[in-house]
Amino acid sequence: MKCELYEELFTGWINKELSAEEKGVLEQHISGCDHCRTELEALQQLWGHIGQIETPEPSANMSVKFYAMLDTYKESVKEQRSLWADIKYQLSNFWQWQPRWPMAYNLVMIVILVVGGYLLFGKNKSDDQDRQLQALSSQVHELKQTMMLALLENPSASERIRGVSYTSEIKHADKQVIDALLATLNNDPNVNVRLSTLDALTHLAGHPEVREGLIKSIVEQDSPLMQLAIADVMLKLQEKRSVNSFKELLKQKDLDHGVRDKIKQTITQLI
Amino acid sequence: MLKVKAGDLDRMGMLFERYNRQLYGFLFHMTYQRELSEDMVQQVFYKMLKYRHTFTGTGEYIHWMYSIARNVLKDHWRKNKQQVQHEGVEAAETIAGGLVPDEAFEKKQAKAELHRAMGKLSESQREILALSRFQELKCQEIAQILGMTEGTVKVRIHRAMQELKSIYVKMER
Ligand SMILES: [Zn+2]
Repeated sequence: MKCELYEELFTGWINKELSAEEKGVLEQHISGCDHCRTELEALQQLWGHIGQIETPEPSANMSVKFYAMLDTYKESVKEQRSLWADIKYQLSNFWQWQPRWPMAYNLVMIVILVVGGYLLFGKNKSDDQDRQLQALSSQVHELKQTMMLALLENPSASERIRGVSYTSEIKHADKQVIDALLATLNNDPNVNVRLSTLDALTHLAGHPEVREGLIKSIVEQDSPLMQLAIADVMLKLQEKRSVNSFKELLKQKDLDHGVRDKIKQTITQLI
Repeated sequence: MLKVKAGDLDRMGMLFERYNRQLYGFLFHMTYQRELSEDMVQQVFYKMLKYRHTFTGTGEYIHWMYSIARNVLKDHWRKNKQQVQHEGVEAAETIAGGLVPDEAFEKKQAKAELHRAMGKLSESQREILALSRFQELKCQEIAQILGMTEGTVKVRIHRAMQELKSIYVKMER
């Protein structure tokens, strides 16, 4: 046999996967072929040396980030109920939150309008059906928006995350929505909510006011997790105007070491 | 509506505990960048979380994980073509640094040199060596991950080893 035909066996030899029979075949060949014998010895030695190359350990940060991601994911998925379930849920709490939230009134009015619209639409086949349908869909849209804004005020973090996730269903995020999201990004006490909000806002980065809000938010964040995440977003958006805010952040003496490195790296990548 | 079993997501935490170091090691030997590798681990687990319904249960979970990791890598290389080599050299030097006794240093420097030589292999050669040597996967497992026959895997490992040897020998001079 030609030497090339032994290539497969070479690999099996050095990583010790050969059967006794295969081993015999190769041993027989190298006993008569100096070239292959030296080659096999060299590769065996190299294989051993590669095995001595150290693999570094991941930092603790990796685990922290993973579990934050998992938690956020769990909460957002677990609570994916239908809009109707939400309306029912909010209505059941209506009397509790009425004094605090004038928005509830709004909500009920819209529900009445929607239901009324359905009834009207079902009975009356008039000419301006289309117009009514359009009005109805804009009401539904408004309802979603109201729903979202209401959820952002909920005391439960998972409800707030759900509110944030509604953003993806709102076709045209207006100023009210954007302001509410930015306020959540800067002020929400729960880091998972803030992370979800950052994610939602990243999808809205087409709006100039979102970009500006994100840049301003850099110095507002005190959790390393958020600081890292926002640096990633700025990099993704290639937002050069964020460099000044990052430099500002670097002035903070108690800034986490890992974050400091990441920010420095982000700055160099942005300039 | 998506019905999610609670245990399904908790299982992801278990898988992370079990495989995060291994996956990180693979990504590190492919990119030579620690922080980037950590980000990629996060991306891989996020994708597994998001697409866990598409995992059919045929084949091992770990093979699926490597397939996703390879996609993440490909994606990264498509976007940052020019960076790999340069960073590779830097990382190897970082590993070589630090205070060690003289006699150990020789060895340590040689290791760094070898690691740097591996950085000069093509991505697919580096990958197959990383999987077989650092990840200690059997050729048959690598065949599943890469979608090749076991024979092809063995031949490719051999060629990668020969290539590495020739790069390494040239560097030593
Ligand atoms: Zn021979």
